[in-house]
Amino acid sequence: MKRLHIMVLSLILLPAIAINGAELTGLQIVDNVYNRDTGKDSKGNLTMSLINSQGNERVRTIKQFIKDFGKVEKKIMFFMSPADVRNTSFVNWSYTEEGKDDDQWIYLPALKKVKRISSSSKSDYFMGSDFTYDDLGDRQPEADIHKLIREEKFNGEQCYVVESVPKDEEYMYSRTVTWIIKDKWIGLKKEFYDEDEDLLKILSVKKFENIKGLWIILQSEMVNVQKKHTTKMQLSEVKINSGIPDRQFTERMMKRGL
Amino acid sequence: MKRRIFGTAGVILLLLFFNTGIKAESLNLTGYVRNYTGMLLEGGNDFSILQNTFNLNLEHSKGKIAFKVNPYIYDYQNKDLEIGLRQAYIDIFFKSMDIRIGKQQIIWGKADGVFITDVISPKDLREFLLPEFDEIRMGITAVKVDYYIGDSTLELVWVPVFSPTIMPEADSIWNPGFDLPLQPEFDYSRKKVEESLKNSEMFFKYSTTSSAIDLEFMAGYMWDDDPTLHTVKNIDPVTMQPESITIIPEHHRLALAGGSFSTTLGGYVIRGEGAYYFGKYFLSEDPMIEEAVVEKDYLQYLIGVDFTLLDIKMSAQFIQQYILDYDDPIVNDRVENMMTFLATKDFLRETLFLELFSYIGLNDGDALIRGKVKYKFSDELEILLGANIFTGTEGMFGRYNKNDMVYAKVKYSF
Repeated sequence: MKRLHIMVLSLILLPAIAINGAELTGLQIVDNVYNRDTGKDSKGNLTMSLINSQGNERVRTIKQFIKDFGKVEKKIMFFMSPADVRNTSFVNWSYTEEGKDDDQWIYLPALKKVKRISSSSKSDYFMGSDFTYDDLGDRQPEADIHKLIREEKFNGEQCYVVESVPKDEEYMYSRTVTWIIKDKWIGLKKEFYDEDEDLLKILSVKKFENIKGLWIILQSEMVNVQKKHTTKMQLSEVKINSGIPDRQFTERMMKRGL
Repeated sequence: MKRRIFGTAGVILLLLFFNTGIKAESLNLTGYVRNYTGMLLEGGNDFSILQNTFNLNLEHSKGKIAFKVNPYIYDYQNKDLEIGLRQAYIDIFFKSMDIRIGKQQIIWGKADGVFITDVISPKDLREFLLPEFDEIRMGITAVKVDYYIGDSTLELVWVPVFSPTIMPEADSIWNPGFDLPLQPEFDYSRKKVEESLKNSEMFFKYSTTSSAIDLEFMAGYMWDDDPTLHTVKNIDPVTMQPESITIIPEHHRLALAGGSFSTTLGGYVIRGEGAYYFGKYFLSEDPMIEEAVVEKDYLQYLIGVDFTLLDIKMSAQFIQQYILDYDDPIVNDRVENMMTFLATKDFLRETLFLELFSYIGLNDGDALIRGKVKYKFSDELEILLGANIFTGTEGMFGRYNKNDMVYAKVKYSF
């Protein structure tokens, strides 16, 4: 749904930009990243490696399916490893309606039932990693004030550099700075500053590919420079627009697993 | 019986590994090895439990067919090895319907740690309510049919053979005992429910999920998992005191209908569950009542809330049991109120977990308070230290006030 929204937005905005030759604002740039078309549906295997300051590594693997249903985007995740969370599944319904909270359910195989849970705090860390739910892409552009501070070449790509300051002063980051590839609308690097304005984390996109005409991030790395902890994310066996059936996102599949 | 199960499990395992029909690499094999040591805080610090567990999950699916086998072994000091199958079932998947046949755990309802509409799988109460939930709920042989319409499900369960609650052994510290003036005799002649079609159990559930609310409606025609303790007293006509007491355990038919819901309100999850039991048996102290039992309708319901406060995940439930058309000599209170509280928090990137859970009986002022600390040394190895504290002197929890204990569980998952 958000993709449709982007497409509509693009139809309105792009001609205007072309005609006026005006520079994009920080908000427009971040909007384009947030709304980058990632397909009607997608599926893939997510491998998350958590590496501590001693170099010890813990690995989590997840199989995920995402589908755009128009007003709602549904996601189902099946936890494959480690062994003690295997067969746990998680469903998220995310709405385009402004202000409407996500709906979430979790299936815990030990309890053998699906539980509705309150929508995760956006500042919570995902599965003990260095990524919060916001970092994974759920943060609405309207939650921050964005400012285009410069344009520069970074890792061989022409980038916009956008500074984003949260409207909520209590938010966990005081600001972020993002390098966004101009023609692909991918955030190539992002710096996160803590409440004391000190650098906290650096997110780097290590690999992205064009799959069926869409830019998909396949590898990224988040380094917490203060705690010297790193999380590597790798997406594999990615399938875009493969026609995932609606029933994949139901309680039936949560219990059945893969 | 258990030997027979072991034999069956052995055959299945052999078939799995040596039969060419299923390749070992297509099997999903997980499980754990665990040591569980508990020690009482009172008296001579007796060990309340010394248990070693091996639990295995074997799963395989191919197209529209899948199966799961969950054998387990409990090893106790100075007791026979206990070997069994917690689950062993076959799934057959159709476009809009699934059928599961075999031994399975079936859990209904929205309540946590309380059993209201969750009445299909009987309970193993040999260690009261202390084991993990998947160990309290026993598998039962059943046929379960689920029919799906969008986000709604119609579920029908047929249990051909009744399985009762497993109660603690007579010498167990978890045996609640009897508050009687004489040592009773037992007559088990009416306890067994014959294994026949007319004695089977049926359950039905409709459930639906939506953004606004999750709903379940259910009905069941079953046997009461807990036997009613019919009591016959021979009274001395001179002293009017009982000369002997005979307890005759008997399971009775029970019909119930109920439902549950779950919804969100801001950052809160609101849950509710209730069931109306048509004709449940209760003990009575009325000397004119034959065998000291009466049949009454009974209502049990719960309201609960889950929320997060200061990064601590919390949950509270209020449970009420109500006997309709109440007679004063009934041993149970007309209204019985209970609450539960849960608080959990994790630290160190989900490697250290703290949990506090408690049942609080409001009628008798008793409680069970359970504190746990769990640390995961790695994804495979974890250690859990806990304490179970019983407060009060009467009621469901107060009766165990000499059973305060600390325990440790060391678990390796694979």
